[in-house]
Amino acid sequence: MSRADLGPRAREHRASLLVATLSASFGVLLLMVTSVLSTFILADDVTGSSGTVVIMLILAAAVFVSLAVYVGAIVTANTFATIVAGRTRTIALLRLIGSTARSQRRAVAKEGVVVGLLGGGAGLLVGLLATFALVRIGVATGVLPELPYAIVEPAVLLPVVAVVLTTWLASWIGARRVLTVTPMQAIGGSQELSREEATARPARNAVAIGLFVVGVLLLLAGVGVGLVSPLGVLIGILGGIVSFSGLVLGAHLVMPPALRLVGRLFGTSATARLAAENAVRYPERSSRTTIGLVIGVTLVTMFAVAAANFQEFVLNAQAANPEVYEGTQAVVATTVGVFSALIGLSALIAAVGMVNNLSLSVLQRTRELGLLRALGFSAAQIRRMIVIEAAQLTIAAVVVGLVLGTFYGWAGAQSMLGAINGSPGLIFPVIPWAIVAVIVVLAALLTAAASVAPSRRATRIAPVAALAVD
Amino acid sequence: MTTSAQPSVVASVHGLRKSYGPADNQVVALDGVDLEIERGRFTAIMGPSGSGKSTLMHIMAGLDQATAGRVRLGDQDITDLDDGQLTILRRRRVGFVFQAFNLVPTLDVAANIRLPFELDARRPTGEEQSWIDVLVSTLGLASRLGHRPHELSGGQQQRVAIARALATRPELLFADEPTGNLDSRTGRSVLALLAAASTEYGQSIAMVTHDPIAASYADRIVFLADGRVVEDRPRSTAEQISALMLGMERAA
Repeated sequence: MSRADLGPRAREHRASLLVATLSASFGVLLLMVTSVLSTFILADDVTGSSGTVVIMLILAAAVFVSLAVYVGAIVTANTFATIVAGRTRTIALLRLIGSTARSQRRAVAKEGVVVGLLGGGAGLLVGLLATFALVRIGVATGVLPELPYAIVEPAVLLPVVAVVLTTWLASWIGARRVLTVTPMQAIGGSQELSREEATARPARNAVAIGLFVVGVLLLLAGVGVGLVSPLGVLIGILGGIVSFSGLVLGAHLVMPPALRLVGRLFGTSATARLAAENAVRYPERSSRTTIGLVIGVTLVTMFAVAAANFQEFVLNAQAANPEVYEGTQAVVATTVGVFSALIGLSALIAAVGMVNNLSLSVLQRTRELGLLRALGFSAAQIRRMIVIEAAQLTIAAVVVGLVLGTFYGWAGAQSMLGAINGSPGLIFPVIPWAIVAVIVVLAALLTAAASVAPSRRATRIAPVAALAVD
Repeated sequence: MTTSAQPSVVASVHGLRKSYGPADNQVVALDGVDLEIERGRFTAIMGPSGSGKSTLMHIMAGLDQATAGRVRLGDQDITDLDDGQLTILRRRRVGFVFQAFNLVPTLDVAANIRLPFELDARRPTGEEQSWIDVLVSTLGLASRLGHRPHELSGGQQQRVAIARALATRPELLFADEPTGNLDSRTGRSVLALLAAASTEYGQSIAMVTHDPIAASYADRIVFLADGRVVEDRPRSTAEQISALMLGMERAA
């Protein structure tokens, strides 16, 4: 397998390749760092309790890697679906001359395997090199003692294999739309791309809503139990996972209304109205594009809010018996910092997906953008339209993520510490505004980054493009 | 509209040349074209594929730049206008009807028709709105205003495009193979609408086509071949036009 297998399509797959590389190198780096820390901790074992710490480290690493791979898979599936939508004409032509839908879908999935292998391989290399560099720097600066640290652990193959498999699976799922392409689409006049209709799927919707409702009830039960026992947090975690799964499954029910609502913020000029319509033109696609970012923002917010509320409880408890809680604050702050950075990577992967999606959708709208130019849209109006479209996607994802993260974080802290000695019982959610501000600034940067390349390309489209008949 | 002895000119090109590609391997699309389009009349520009008729239209409409020669619209020389000025010109002074209809898929019929005004960040004035209402009812679109383009037939989409193009009362309406994607009956009704816009409202129209039947609806037919004007005829029947084209084909 070589890069040549992707041929001229390499450009379309750049984003998937980047996502696979990011996920794989993150996984490799995290496992290697865990291995290095384990060597360090075990060498220093005085109490004999370090074994537990090592297991905790490995578990934490596994959770964060899974998260990154999961978000990466959503992004990749979405990218492939978008690519297939853009290739409808070609696929229809091949179907016309006798290719089966299944073999067309297999061909797309094969590209997924190549992307996964290339990304996984690159990630392995980057992860190992980064670990080696970090260890050397650590030893040189005296942070780490000189110990026989492993250069490579067999376990690093796990995240690499996971990335290859999920990329393949994601491309297969993303290529589902190939099955709906008919040979007629190759000869049909110059119809616009077939609309990705939001199909009614009562079963899926019912499951999504069911999971969400049950999850929220469990969360509230956790908060209730938490008022008498810290075991409430176990019910709460279960509720969190169940309700969030429901939300991801039902993203197509949540995100389009959120996008429409945000779209109204930009006024009623032709530019803003077109941008608002574009953002929800393919509700399925926009939902998948934004849900990755929602997951990232929700998790970061959740940890930050949980920590802030945690501290609120601890402060109350500390007032009651100061000596027990000495030093807790610093530990909580460090943990939150590290966790946020680790989850931040998932958010970064989601951001790559969003940037790519906007680029592809502009690429696929050449004729329409040419038409707008022919009708008298200025280059500046086109650029503004694309920036608004990007802003709409980002703002909707960030707002939904902030709301969810705040709720989950508060529920987590409440269910864990509601029964703590000296607790006032239920507290009002404490919101860490500094972190919210950082998220908002990053979102603004993301909007800018997402719209630079597509808007430059869009303003280069000659109005004549609209008149050409394919 | 009754034509005076000397109809005024709505658009013209002089010594127009257009070539593409590097100097050592140039493709010449237009090779010295002189043409005047008369105000208030329906002019057809005909020619075989590759004759340069589409390029001519693109340049006259401010969509493409000439390599040499001058281009005028109304009283203005538009040859050297920059992109921003050409944008305003397209928005206010010319209208387009395309072969592929080219409506904005995310906007409904009413919003598509209003789009040229919204680009100017204004609402149609009372007088403009009553003109739009006349167009909508004449074109039989009154019951379709809330529909999206993909819910309409080809003929309906093309009628929306015509309403959009006429809404601003452009100085010159360009039509590029407007019947190319329509069945012959629908195509004829679209041509009749264009001809009526010219005779009843004095709308100047330049239509590019290779279809003799479409050209037979025009007041005047200009023939292009290999980037030059080779014939210029008054209103003719489809048979006369076909015969003329066959003759040109044999001569070539």
